[in-house]
Amino acid sequence: MKFLCVSCDEPMKLVHTKPPERGSLTVVYRCPSCSHEFAMLTNPYETQVVGSLGVKVGPAGTGDTTKCPFTDVVRDLGSDREGSNVFPWTPEAASRLRNIPEFARPMAKAGIEKFAKERGLAQIDAQVLDQAKDFFGM
Amino acid sequence: MKNYYDIAGDGGSDILEQVQAQEESVARNLAGVRNLLAVGSGKGGVGKSTLTMQLACALRELGNAVSILDADLNGPTQARLGALQDRILVPGESGVTVPTTRDGIGVVSLGSLFPEPRAVDFESVAAGSSYTWRATKEFTVLRELLACMDWGKLDYLLVDLPPGAERIVQYAELLGPTAIFVLVAIPSDMARGVVARSIDALAKTPNRILGYVENMDGYYCSDCERVKPLFPAQPQVKLELPCLGSVPFDPELAALCDRGGSPSDSPALFSWQPVRRIAREICERVAEPASACKEGA
Repeated sequence: MKFLCVSCDEPMKLVHTKPPERGSLTVVYRCPSCSHEFAMLTNPYETQVVGSLGVKVGPAGTGDTTKCPFTDVVRDLGSDREGSNVFPWTPEAASRLRNIPEFARPMAKAGIEKFAKERGLAQIDAQVLDQAKDFFGM
Repeated sequence: MKNYYDIAGDGGSDILEQVQAQEESVARNLAGVRNLLAVGSGKGGVGKSTLTMQLACALRELGNAVSILDADLNGPTQARLGALQDRILVPGESGVTVPTTRDGIGVVSLGSLFPEPRAVDFESVAAGSSYTWRATKEFTVLRELLACMDWGKLDYLLVDLPPGAERIVQYAELLGPTAIFVLVAIPSDMARGVVARSIDALAKTPNRILGYVENMDGYYCSDCERVKPLFPAQPQVKLELPCLGSVPFDPELAALCDRGGSPSDSPALFSWQPVRRIAREICERVAEPASACKEGA
């Protein structure tokens, strides 16, 4: 979907998005010529349909640059099911976790934290992930 | 006034580029897969999933590196068939590690993530309207799994497709033109009629159909050691494809599969032999040029 400033005959540029509220996204556009701004407010159905494509809605170039671009599927659309964040993850381990698709991440995270807890480990690092990989016979 | 096509880009939402990046990511991640083999039918209940696992075991036995992607998100069974119901996904250094059976067959199935009897469900902000987005979401999930798993170097990646004759085209488009299809039929005109629809649907794609497997072609009675008819009459509906082989229904093999056992545990099982022959047939046929395969049809 593109937006055109009718007065200037110029394509509008996406400026920013606001966090979803009750399933509605706010996407603000501005005309680069006259600086007129307007906001597109999606209904939950529109939000969900676009979100189901596995894309992140936001200004180009500001999304995270993790290797797999699919990992933001639901993060910006709904609740965070990834748990309490009580168990500390090192940045490297957290980065690896982001390789797991969003829908499966909470379950994978919970499973790895359970594995670490049962072994009395204090945090999740790359070594723990390798141990889990060996333990689960992979 | 400018129209849509006068405007370059999409104003910054980048959605088209992201979808394209997803497709490229799948292609990159499958670069080490020599043969992408989709096992479908169109008809439900013909034994696609069980046969997929058995073929994977037989292909593995022939020395191939094999993994399975369970594309049935509305009744995943490969985790059970591979005894991998309690596995979690562990992120590795170069993608998510593929869980493997004790025979060394990689299995990616939502059955590992959603233990029975939990239904496969996804977060939604549009409660009560899943019919509007669920199909899109399912294909996105499959694309994510194809893109994010560390498939490594494989001789065969088998994709266990869900039922749906006309929807088989969407799977062909998702998997790309190099994906080869094997269809599963049973000796019933009703089932064959649906498989014929799948053949017709796939004819509109560039994908190659290797042939079909006649599953449940009688049942094997271990008491009298004979194959007896399972369906009342020979089917009249002809499938315009090479038959790769027939497999009788074997209660012992079915029970073994339900337990997550491997046919290699019971190599003397009667119906294991035809599966092995079919696996060899598949290996030979995928090695042929596509044109030669069509001539043999």
